[in-house]
Amino acid sequence: MIYGLTLKSLWNRKTTVLLTLMSIALSVALLLGVDHIRREAKSSFTNTISGTDLIVGARSGSVQLLLYSVFRIGNATNNIAWTSYQDIAKSPQVAWTIPISLGDSHRGYRVMGTNQNYFQHFRYGKKQPLKLSTGVPFSDVYEAVLGSEVAAKLGYQLGEDIVIAHGGGQVSFASHDDKPFKVVGILEPTGTPVDRTVHVSLEGIEAIHIGWQAGRSTISAEDALGYDLQPEVITAAFVGLKSKIGVFALQREVNQYRKEPMLAILPGVALQELWALLGVAESALLGISAFVVVTGLLGMLTVIWAGLNERRREMAILRSVGARPRHILMLLMTEAGLMVFFGAGLGLLLLLSLLLLAQPLILSMTGVQIGINFLNHENLYILGAVIATGFTVGLVPALKAYRMSVADGMTVRI
Amino acid sequence: MNAGHNPDMPELDISEPGLPGVDGSGALLFLENLRYRWAGSSKDVLDIGRFSVSRGERVFLQGVSGSGKTTLLNLLGGVITPDSGVVSILDTDLTKLGHAARDTFRADHIGFVFQQFNLIPYLSLIDNVTLPCRFSKTRRNRITAKGTTPADEATRLLSQLGLNEEARSSRSVTALSVGQQQRVAVARAMIGSPELIIADEPTSALDVQARFAFLDLLFHEVEASNATLLFVSHDPALQKRFERSVRMVDINRAGITEEA
Repeated sequence: MIYGLTLKSLWNRKTTVLLTLMSIALSVALLLGVDHIRREAKSSFTNTISGTDLIVGARSGSVQLLLYSVFRIGNATNNIAWTSYQDIAKSPQVAWTIPISLGDSHRGYRVMGTNQNYFQHFRYGKKQPLKLSTGVPFSDVYEAVLGSEVAAKLGYQLGEDIVIAHGGGQVSFASHDDKPFKVVGILEPTGTPVDRTVHVSLEGIEAIHIGWQAGRSTISAEDALGYDLQPEVITAAFVGLKSKIGVFALQREVNQYRKEPMLAILPGVALQELWALLGVAESALLGISAFVVVTGLLGMLTVIWAGLNERRREMAILRSVGARPRHILMLLMTEAGLMVFFGAGLGLLLLLSLLLLAQPLILSMTGVQIGINFLNHENLYILGAVIATGFTVGLVPALKAYRMSVADGMTVRI
Repeated sequence: MNAGHNPDMPELDISEPGLPGVDGSGALLFLENLRYRWAGSSKDVLDIGRFSVSRGERVFLQGVSGSGKTTLLNLLGGVITPDSGVVSILDTDLTKLGHAARDTFRADHIGFVFQQFNLIPYLSLIDNVTLPCRFSKTRRNRITAKGTTPADEATRLLSQLGLNEEARSSRSVTALSVGQQQRVAVARAMIGSPELIIADEPTSALDVQARFAFLDLLFHEVEASNATLLFVSHDPALQKRFERSVRMVDINRAGITEEA
């Protein structure tokens, strides 16, 4: 009946309809995209570290400690003494510890000194261990294991020599070029900051700084090996406990440590704190996207509404051949419904293609793996809400047309 | 506004308002004591004592604009209902029907041709002609009873009305001349053989010669399908072609109104 007319009527105004479809599609893609990225970012974020019960560092803020120890963002305000670290490691509740030493870099990537415990005990995501895609963990002083992104971006192979620069940053004027490190292993991608880290031994970090004065080294690589390379300070330590029950007791113990001010944080709690900070921006973004969708639907309302007057004659003709005002209402409703439905569908396609396109880019730029499957339950609800809102918006001009067709009958009075 | 909710029964001496009176029996169209005024207006637009059209008759109804003819057409179409009186078509009193039934009745039994811009611009010629079949099962059935389809019937009517293959295959109805458009409108009014054809100034956009050619075609079609024709126009030049001519001012006691 009237439905056969809808498509022809829409086709007759294809340019306007197409533009409306596009604005709805873009807004829907934006809304679902923002929601999807938000989810992915959060899961990627909380996946950066797992299985670690406490992170111990010099006393500062918990978010700051988390940022530099886990995310390699910013710098430590202070170090902790090796002896303090040993005190914690010897504590009876402690199952394992991973000491880390930060401060140097290689072509913009952070260099982290650690020990074998790192490869053995560090977990990310759903308690996944680190795996080497090629090579072995470092065992010698001048050996390095690269994160997957470092190797891929800089094109390093096993056996190549790399030079570590003093301090962080992309450009450094002081480099430890007299003591190159040999690449012995490359890690598999993890989607975490590990991918962007160059791992060396604590002794290696110590060796390159022996005799370091005014930006140059005074002791050769071979001579350095003769020194005691046990570090005196480290930046932080990851701690795993035998039983989770002891976590608060140990945290208190560390926080009240007499010999130096230290801070122990629970990674999960600190991650929540950090996410709460970012969450404001994330909610704002989602809110804005929702408004963009409303704008898109209002655009549709405008288009239909503006066309009503010039379609009065069409409605009068339809009435004369037997259409009821209800048919006119349905015609307009179906038009709006189809536009919203196809607009939303187009939005889904748009988002899917954007994600397919952006996925490798995001992965290579940030190391974050964005999933393609954005149609989870909540997104389906959002989509349903958009379509329902579209129908409601479509009701406005449809009711106006209904009233007009009742008033006009078969003849248009102007 | 539709003022068709007046529950008042006709006060006049009609014993059975559901049926045409004695004088109206056998009439296809029968009006009696018809009164209508727009909501909020203090004056009647229409006040018709009695008017009837017999089956198969071709009646010329002459009226200038403002004579209430637009209101009359809307009453005949069942789009509005009178404040009082009888509007009987095919022995059915439209005032006794509900909204939906009146709309269905119009779709089933009346074909309209209007002055100009009769066609839906986004539909093809054939789709424009078959439009009533979308709303009327009766008219659809009459076509299938003849062993044909609405689309074929539309083609037949169009070619009978002198629209050649070239014109029929025209992509858009707006590309047609006004005369051609009016013939498409006649085909639409005729499809499915409704009993009553109401033409409202169908020739006013045509030049003089085309007017008479159009009238001839219209008469021919109306005769071929045994329909009754009510032809409304302000142009007295056309009336001599009709068997019967009625002036709006003679039947409408309300006289000239301010209706545009």
